[in-house]
Amino acid sequence: MDIHNLTAKDKKKLHSWLRAAIQILYFCFIPSAYTAAFAGVKYIFTQIGAGDRIELSSFVAVLIVLCVYTVVFGRFFCGFACAFGSLGDGVHALYVVACKKMKKKPIHLGKTLTDRMSCLKYVVLTVIAVSCFAGVYSKAKGTSPWDVFSMLHAGNFHLGSYIPGTIILALLLVGMCIQERFFCRFLCPMGAIFSILPVFPFFSLRRNRENCIKGCSGCTRKCPSDIELPEDGSMRVPGDCFQCQKCIDTCPKSNIHCGIGRIKGNEFLFTILKALILLGLFLWLGI
Amino acid sequence: MREFCVRIVSLVMVVAALIGYNTVLDAREKDEQIEELNAQLAGLQGAETGEIIGGDYKDGTYTGEGDGFGGKISVEIKVEEKKITEINILSAEGEDGAYLSMAKDIIPKIIEAQSTEVDTISGATFSSTGIKEASAEALEKAVE
Repeated sequence: MDIHNLTAKDKKKLHSWLRAAIQILYFCFIPSAYTAAFAGVKYIFTQIGAGDRIELSSFVAVLIVLCVYTVVFGRFFCGFACAFGSLGDGVHALYVVACKKMKKKPIHLGKTLTDRMSCLKYVVLTVIAVSCFAGVYSKAKGTSPWDVFSMLHAGNFHLGSYIPGTIILALLLVGMCIQERFFCRFLCPMGAIFSILPVFPFFSLRRNRENCIKGCSGCTRKCPSDIELPEDGSMRVPGDCFQCQKCIDTCPKSNIHCGIGRIKGNEFLFTILKALILLGLFLWLGI
Repeated sequence: MREFCVRIVSLVMVVAALIGYNTVLDAREKDEQIEELNAQLAGLQGAETGEIIGGDYKDGTYTGEGDGFGGKISVEIKVEEKKITEINILSAEGEDGAYLSMAKDIIPKIIEAQSTEVDTISGATFSSTGIKEASAEALEKAVE
């Protein structure tokens, strides 16, 4: 089978199946990378607050590796390998199917609202960092939705002391239903860090605006983060791009491609390559 | 281009600040160590004292189990000359790698305290509590 000769529709299908497969595999087998990396952030602030040395613990190692990976490839981890992100994609897909079945229109949040809400993640990050620094974070143990999620994922249902966390997780799930990537875009503290990292522009997506159909905004409307893609040759990398790559297949003129032109048409293989590199890193870290 | 440069400079500054922080702490720790050693030296010159405090455990190897994050953790404790000398994790199948290796930091704490009455490792509470419980169970068998 030659993937270059497929029709646009089949290509789209192939890409979404590939993404779903990678997401499910990472969700089932390596669900803890996100929480481990964020535990690294909390650890750093806790140590500084207590005046202790920052050791290169396993959490910090995961944090560093994920940040370096993101600097090189962009937020591929968020779009393909983060268990929380995949959970969000899963419930959102269910919601869309349910809406279709009941012949209701899915709720859509306006752009001004979503733009404002995407600043919330920096607030979340700051609050958690400050409370770690002040040494009070460990007292709020039962409130972490990530702990609850990890416990459920591991088949541990002793949620007695985790009622606040369970409620927060339930609310997040509702949000994830309504808005694609609700948590990642608005609330994820790790996403806040990723979105202010400098990302090399080589592998992030670009469009040739001159080639576009006049007035077309298909990619922006398809994008879970409502991103207007940068022009060819631009150094700008949108911080909220999770590399879901839906824009590539949605463009009627196949106008969207990587910063490096040679990858064009081989996005399928490049995605597999990126997933394998990430897998290799995780195995090396022993997650 | 400008935005990219600003981001890179900020990242470098954050990393430099963290490394600087660690370096300062290292330097302080060295000074403290020197002082401590000097104090010890002075103490030794004064009088030859020093007694090893032993635990009240029976010599042997004991195993115990505790609840970890996603299942049972079982450990093996070696007691030699009435003291805990070694704690090994026999199995911890339900634990995540990164968390378990963090949680193992509790083992030297237990050996140092010769007791399982130590604080758990923050960030890896479940796994370290599991190791603690398992060790406590093993030590119960070692009490005379």
